[in-house]
Amino acid sequence: MKLIPVRKDLYEEYRLTVMFDCYKWDPQFLDHNTVARYALALTQEEHEELMGLTEALDRETRAAELFLNTHPKIARPLELPGSMRREIRSMGDYEPDKHIRLMRYDFHPVEEGGWAVSEVNSDVPGGFAEASLMPETVVRFLDGEGNYWYKDFGDILTDAIQEKTAAGGRIMLVHCTCYSDDRQVMQFLGDRLSERGFHVIYGAADHLRFRDRQAYSILDGNEGKIDAIVRFTPLEWLTEMKPKRWQGYFDTLTVSCNHPAAIYAQTKRFPLVWDALEKNGVSMSVWRALLPETVEVKDAAGKEDFIFKPAYGRVGEKIAIREACGEEEYQKILKDVRRHPKRYLAQKRFHSRPLPGGSGEKFHICLGSYTVNGKHAGYYARLSETPRIDSNAADLPVLIEGRNGHDR
Amino acid sequence: MTGKEAYRIWAPAGARWTDWVRPVPFVTAGSFSGAYCDPDFHVPAADYVDEHYEDAAVIVDLPGAESVREGIALAKAGYRPVPIYNGTAEQPGARAAVDNQTVGTALIMAAEELEQIRIREDALPAFLTDSSRMNQFRMDASLFDNSWDVYAQDLPSADYFIKNGIRKVIVVGEKISADLRIILYGFQKKKIKIFLAKPCGIPKRKILRRPFRQEIE
Repeated sequence: MKLIPVRKDLYEEYRLTVMFDCYKWDPQFLDHNTVARYALALTQEEHEELMGLTEALDRETRAAELFLNTHPKIARPLELPGSMRREIRSMGDYEPDKHIRLMRYDFHPVEEGGWAVSEVNSDVPGGFAEASLMPETVVRFLDGEGNYWYKDFGDILTDAIQEKTAAGGRIMLVHCTCYSDDRQVMQFLGDRLSERGFHVIYGAADHLRFRDRQAYSILDGNEGKIDAIVRFTPLEWLTEMKPKRWQGYFDTLTVSCNHPAAIYAQTKRFPLVWDALEKNGVSMSVWRALLPETVEVKDAAGKEDFIFKPAYGRVGEKIAIREACGEEEYQKILKDVRRHPKRYLAQKRFHSRPLPGGSGEKFHICLGSYTVNGKHAGYYARLSETPRIDSNAADLPVLIEGRNGHDR
Repeated sequence: MTGKEAYRIWAPAGARWTDWVRPVPFVTAGSFSGAYCDPDFHVPAADYVDEHYEDAAVIVDLPGAESVREGIALAKAGYRPVPIYNGTAEQPGARAAVDNQTVGTALIMAAEELEQIRIREDALPAFLTDSSRMNQFRMDASLFDNSWDVYAQDLPSADYFIKNGIRKVIVVGEKISADLRIILYGFQKKKIKIFLAKPCGIPKRKILRRPFRQEIE
């Protein structure tokens, strides 16, 4: 695995192309440029290893969520919000094969060799265009020559949606319509689905109503039956919506990506139910080999080298790593951990192995590896000068060495 | 002119402050309806810029295309206009909470005029935003809510401003809106002075009170 620089004289043109042709509408975050000056190249062997690990993790995750869905007592340590716990009782007849299951597992190269996994983005993983268009684009701007290919995540996800949705059907892309960062993800997918002849509706979570377990749009000028829902609004935000209009999501028969069953693995407290799962015959051995030891906050007292993570954190927010946060932010997180220990977990810190860039720089990498319906579906990576990969990190297209082109 | 061509004019490669130009209205320009074209795109003179504006970054917070016109006026007065509009277009057929298309159209129209203005490399920044952006009122739930806020990450940090010699921020607008108040309170804590200048008025110093926790979250 190595970083390949984008040609210095072409970088500005590359950044512009990424913005205009690759749906990268948030190229700056505070003082940080979020378009990396590199691409990440995996060897064919690394790709095969990652693909195998990703699919193995995915098998365990899907088996676990199916089990948890019918065994609410075992799910109790997940500390799901009360409002959600009441609704998930209605998911008893959830049939995974009728929906589209999309996840992204975040891998990190570690100092002792091999990989650590920091989490699975089980509910609403993003990075769609970065995983589909940036690899194709960056090849034209790289320093030096090489043969590279990539998996087109967008094609794989679109195929999966097409397989389960009636031809020409109406698909609502549910997101927070106030956020352009959400819209960029949905717009990419919407354009791909439109090319396949679907009627795409960009809407918010409260633009859906459910009758007889079927979804209907109430969006002005776009009313009527909906054939599929692709949701980018996190489930825990949805259940905070007022007035309460989200109950129907949990037992709808309308094709969903993702179905709310995704919440079991989305909470970072997921590892706290593994012992119980394994006692019931659900193996979590691949997860155990890759995820650092994870315990309740109270059980980390006196243990060295543990960090605190929020149960529903996103893009590295509120992860307490002293040297990666400012002191003020670090103390603020610790205060919140003390106040709400059940909203956090403690995890043994892994030591990320930075990769060399140009002129002596070193960068930490988070390599997101997608699955769609259990099959590996491509990569999305981010790069950071600090071990915590957060909103300041830069998007990094992922290529695989060996040949030219792309795969579905 | 395409959105990309216009973006190159508003954010010339390598120029200071232009990394913060948000691409959203430029990228989506092709999908805007011609009905949003502003036939009376008249640029006023920013003759109010005087010694009060020394070492100041400006945030223009005026309604719709007026903010774009003020940006061009400030460019003529020596500022680097930096559009940070971040609102999206509504789903076709739906009524929207905010008209984000007029601003997009105005940015494209104004690009030709901006191209004729020579802006110095050390120009101070004037960030342009639409004061109608936070219109979150929805007559009913069926409306498309494309209102938007400015967040701290949409602007340079206070430290960056200070490093670049900026000691005050002047908001040109009727008031300091709730989203800007949260950001500017953080700046104030770092000893940057905050001013409000009503259109064509003299900037008046504002001491911002700590926003409510709910507002910050």
